[in-house]
Amino acid sequence: MRKALRWKAWPIIALSAAVALAVPVIAHDGYVIQLLNIAILNAIVVIGLNFATGWAGQINFGQAAFYGLGAYTTAIATKAGLPWIVTPFLSVIVVVVASLILGLPTMRLRTYYLAMTTIGFGEIIRLMIVHWEPVTGGTSGLRAIPGISIFGIGPQGQIQHYYLLIATLGLAVLIALRVRNSVLGRAMIATKDSEIAAEQSGVDTTRTKLLAFMIGAIYAGLAGCLYASSIRFISPDSFSGTQAILLMTMLIIGGMGSIAGCVVGAVALTILPEALRFLGQWYLVLYGLGVVAVIVLAPGGLASLASQVQPRRARLR
Amino acid sequence: MQAIIGPNGSGKTTLLNALSGASHADAGSIRIGGNEIFRLKPHRIARLGLARTFQTIRIFDNLSVIENVKVAAGCNMPTSLFNIIASNARQRQSEAAIDRNSREALEIVGLAGRANDHATQLPYAQQRLLEIARALASKPNVLLLDEPAAGMNMTESMTLLNTIARLKSSGITILLVEHNVRLVMGISDRVTVLDFGKKIAEGAPSEVQRNLLVIEAYLGRRHRHA
Repeated sequence: MRKALRWKAWPIIALSAAVALAVPVIAHDGYVIQLLNIAILNAIVVIGLNFATGWAGQINFGQAAFYGLGAYTTAIATKAGLPWIVTPFLSVIVVVVASLILGLPTMRLRTYYLAMTTIGFGEIIRLMIVHWEPVTGGTSGLRAIPGISIFGIGPQGQIQHYYLLIATLGLAVLIALRVRNSVLGRAMIATKDSEIAAEQSGVDTTRTKLLAFMIGAIYAGLAGCLYASSIRFISPDSFSGTQAILLMTMLIIGGMGSIAGCVVGAVALTILPEALRFLGQWYLVLYGLGVVAVIVLAPGGLASLASQVQPRRARLR
Repeated sequence: MQAIIGPNGSGKTTLLNALSGASHADAGSIRIGGNEIFRLKPHRIARLGLARTFQTIRIFDNLSVIENVKVAAGCNMPTSLFNIIASNARQRQSEAAIDRNSREALEIVGLAGRANDHATQLPYAQQRLLEIARALASKPNVLLLDEPAAGMNMTESMTLLNTIARLKSSGITILLVEHNVRLVMGISDRVTVLDFGKKIAEGAPSEVQRNLLVIEAYLGRRHRHA
């Protein structure tokens, strides 16, 4: 049965891979590729958010702050002259420490209280970035961040960055799938569905929530690392509370708990505002209406639409 | 096989919650084998071999039938994030063992055919059986069943009874909490009767049935003289 499902999924995987690889051939515009690069990075961050929020059911508005921590750690380290290769490790160390500081005391909190705490955490990180000007550049951000380079070899130009980021996204999806189909992934979803029943089935729910939170933070931290060294410019705006809400919206619009949904939501909500720019000030109205429409018409997110099509087709047969 | 019966509000579920760690008793001692489990967290108690089902169904809605069972089947498996990400031989072996145990547990309650369905697609009575399968998958020494027949019709209850009888013969200690006295009498070795949180009778089913205090608790004082 599982094998059969996997076979059914192959054409879709092959098709999306083909489209992803063909995009730079069609879109020569550097601006479009740059936008797609940001969309891919956002997708990685949203897949990370899905561990804690989509699966383990813990509301987390701190994801943008973890994204920022990874980006600033990388920018500061490479500008100080450290080789690029150490920055992913540094970013991971920083976000793991931060996620433990935030997670250990708060994983017992529920719903609103957890949401409030994570909002507060995001604000603290933003204020630190804004006010620690000599190091972080304050509100004007950091420019001319050294690019990705491993022993002198690194991607040149936006198209090469695009392929590198697509490969990273593929890896992020693969790891998320493996976690989902393991003891850990099932424990996360069980924790969300019924914490009492999960505990009584032998699941350490506190540890599970903390792990979901931490893995998500690592995703965000690594995406931040790649953001800093491929976009080469960062400012506090990219990692603010507004960004945290946007990441949550991507998750909800795409479909909580669905990895494909995370990617669809992140790509759609990164590109749409730019694509609708010709509408001028009306773009926000349309954008808002679109978000509301998805929430009302497809509460399971865009990903749930795809799964709704299949049973209907089966009935026709 | 021990049954606990008693009228509504007599403390049956409260007792189960105290045993399984879902809520804490004020004082006392609870032991499984040689382990003191009083005031341990529920997942520690579960890993020491105590499994339970719930009076109101608590299945995992976002998982498939077999995945529901796998949650419990994996409870004593060591999890390493590294193994999961690498998907190495050790990881695949432990997943295969979990899969085997889960299918066995589903087989026992007769749900093997629905392993890949979504848990919420099961009808009510089968969701109760799924809870039992989930409890069995952790290989417990003690199984607490909290009103497993609640909401079932006569045929469904009879199938359930057969399943419980089979479990009993496989050597698991079962603590059955039931509201329905008739259901309990046939399969229990010992019956304890609770009323207002106090033990009012204990013994073989036949003895308990004749106990005046029990009749009084269930039917009220007037019937004693009637």
